[in-house]
Amino acid sequence: MKVLMVDKEKCTGCHQCELWCGTEIASTSKELARAINEEPHPVPRVYVEGKPFALQCRHCESAPCLDACPNGTMRRDPETGLIYVNEQTCIACWMCVMVCPFGIINPSSSMKVAIKCDRCRNMGYPICAEVCPTGALSLVERKDYRKKKF
Amino acid sequence: MRYIIVGGSAAAISAVESIRSLDHESSIDLFSDEETPLFSRVLLPYYVAEELSKPLLNFRTADFFEENKVTPHLGVKVTSLNTAAKAIRTTDGQTYAFDKLLLATGGKAIVPPIPGVDKEGISTLKTMADAERIYNMKGKRAVVIGAGSIGVEACISLTRRGIKATLLEQLGQVMPTVFDAEAAEIVQKRIEDLGIDVLTGEKALKFTGDKRVTGVVTDNRELSCDMVVLSVGVRPQTELAVQAGLKIGELKGIRVDETMMTSAKDVYAAGDVAETHDIARNAYFLNAIWPCAFEQGHFAGLNMAGRKSAYPGSYRRNSIGNFIGIPAISMGVTHAESCAMASEEDEFREIRVRTKDAYKKLVLRNGKIIGAILVGQTQKAGLMSILLKKQVNVADSIPLLMSDRLNFMDLLPILRRNADQFSEPEYKELMDTGL
Ligand SMILES: Cc1cc2nc3c(=O)[nH]c(=O)nc-3n(C[C@H](O)[C@H](O)[C@H](O)COP(=O)(O)OP(=O)(O)OC[C@H]3O[C@@H](n4cnc5c(N)ncnc54)[C@H](O)[C@@H]3O)c2cc1C
Repeated sequence: MKVLMVDKEKCTGCHQCELWCGTEIASTSKELARAINEEPHPVPRVYVEGKPFALQCRHCESAPCLDACPNGTMRRDPETGLIYVNEQTCIACWMCVMVCPFGIINPSSSMKVAIKCDRCRNMGYPICAEVCPTGALSLVERKDYRKKKF
Repeated sequence: MRYIIVGGSAAAISAVESIRSLDHESSIDLFSDEETPLFSRVLLPYYVAEELSKPLLNFRTADFFEENKVTPHLGVKVTSLNTAAKAIRTTDGQTYAFDKLLLATGGKAIVPPIPGVDKEGISTLKTMADAERIYNMKGKRAVVIGAGSIGVEACISLTRRGIKATLLEQLGQVMPTVFDAEAAEIVQKRIEDLGIDVLTGEKALKFTGDKRVTGVVTDNRELSCDMVVLSVGVRPQTELAVQAGLKIGELKGIRVDETMMTSAKDVYAAGDVAETHDIARNAYFLNAIWPCAFEQGHFAGLNMAGRKSAYPGSYRRNSIGNFIGIPAISMGVTHAESCAMASEEDEFREIRVRTKDAYKKLVLRNGKIIGAILVGQTQKAGLMSILLKKQVNVADSIPLLMSDRLNFMDLLPILRRNADQFSEPEYKELMDTGL
């Protein structure tokens, strides 16, 4: 399966990915100027953390969120291996939040759903990688990820 | 190969999925004495609250059995297990032979021996039938006995239907196995804000009424009511295991090894019925929660289908979700004292931070997390969960772990120091980045 690779040399911590994910994926207006004022506030699925580094759901091979979800809301797409939230059935129990080893599932109390990156599975290319001004984010096959030089 | 699964809930379905990931052809016969298949017990309070109708309680789609080539025997109880002859007998009068068998018989709600407990209008909340019974009860006032997770959820469900609920707990706080006193106080306040009366340190002594319950006598008062929900805990459903002579643990669950096998060869157990090694307690324990049932089902299924896989162990995890308007998550042990197996050399530590709307606590044994409570800010709870599960030393990172800015990337040095413990590709990828 393909996963997002982040090049720490190139990630400057500019938060463009967060801004665009929040606008393009999370907001209803899809326009930055309006998204900022939307209620409930749009929740980006990518977190610029640490040194800095753009972290999203890693779509774990053995995913604790899939085991913890009590009603099959958390699903893995059999074709792509991507894990996504079937928002219609989410009961906001936050059991996935409780076990996510990366802490990237947002328990949105205003939207009453668990929010996380599905790597833009219904779009051609992940928005965060598309908008990154330094090209720090790219899609690679998981088996090749560790062969890359950093 | 002939597989037999006894039970049709979390552990059973998870085992089926794992078996089928390795073995697409062998027969799988699944027996469940509950007639409704594939519903999630965790959602029963939502059914009682009238927020989810029956079809929405399912955790797998109706075609699951067909898709996975499973022969379901619903409404059929397994009445005996012969481990030497490798056969079971069922209520439909048949005998079935197996090569590998899984006991995923779950738990049974405890009915406390309080005088009058068999009156009408009194029910446990464990099965679909229980949920339907409670849903159909008529009246305006309810008493819920036992303030564990299920009791609290039952109260909130009834409240949402306009029923005035009183929560009665004999210990000094709500959710005593989930929270410490400080977190429980925050949670109790929220429950009370919903209009629920909470009485702690008070015991139910007797139920009044003729045929139907009309009240609960406690050591302090009489509470009049039209219905009672009993939620004082669950006990492993081990009749089959006992009858078959399988090894039963001190806590009355079926003892399993790290492949989830019982004391009888080719007979496995998983879920609420199984007594497994608890990572936080470093002792055998019963962790009757959905994630453990699912995880154990996975490992049982893999081992049954021939792939040797060691279950890393269980640990308690509870989340209160959106019920009370503030998220709260707890895992492992709530206090250092709750570790029964503590040896003299073990060094325990508790660290707490309390702000106006949030509370965070870590319990450490020899520098390793064995318990965590997070109220208010919970998004990073899973970081505590993985550090607990992997039992790595975090003694030099306490300020980071307690800080609001805690994030995964800042934990990388800990992961790298324990690289052999974090061998999954999702961790290796990020460790390789050189950060
Ligand atoms: C109201 C409620 C709310 C809950 N909420 C949460 C929650 O929020 N989070 C959480 O983590 N956990 C929760 N739980 C606990 C969770 O539901 C259980 O941990 C989980 O269902 C255990 O799954 P299991 O497969 O081990 O057993 P069970 O779900 O108990 O299923 C066992 C099945 O086996 C059947 N069976 C038993 N003996 C036989 C036999 N001899 N022949 C045929 N069939 C048999 C039983 O009838 C039953 O259908 C809740 C439980 C309840 C009741």
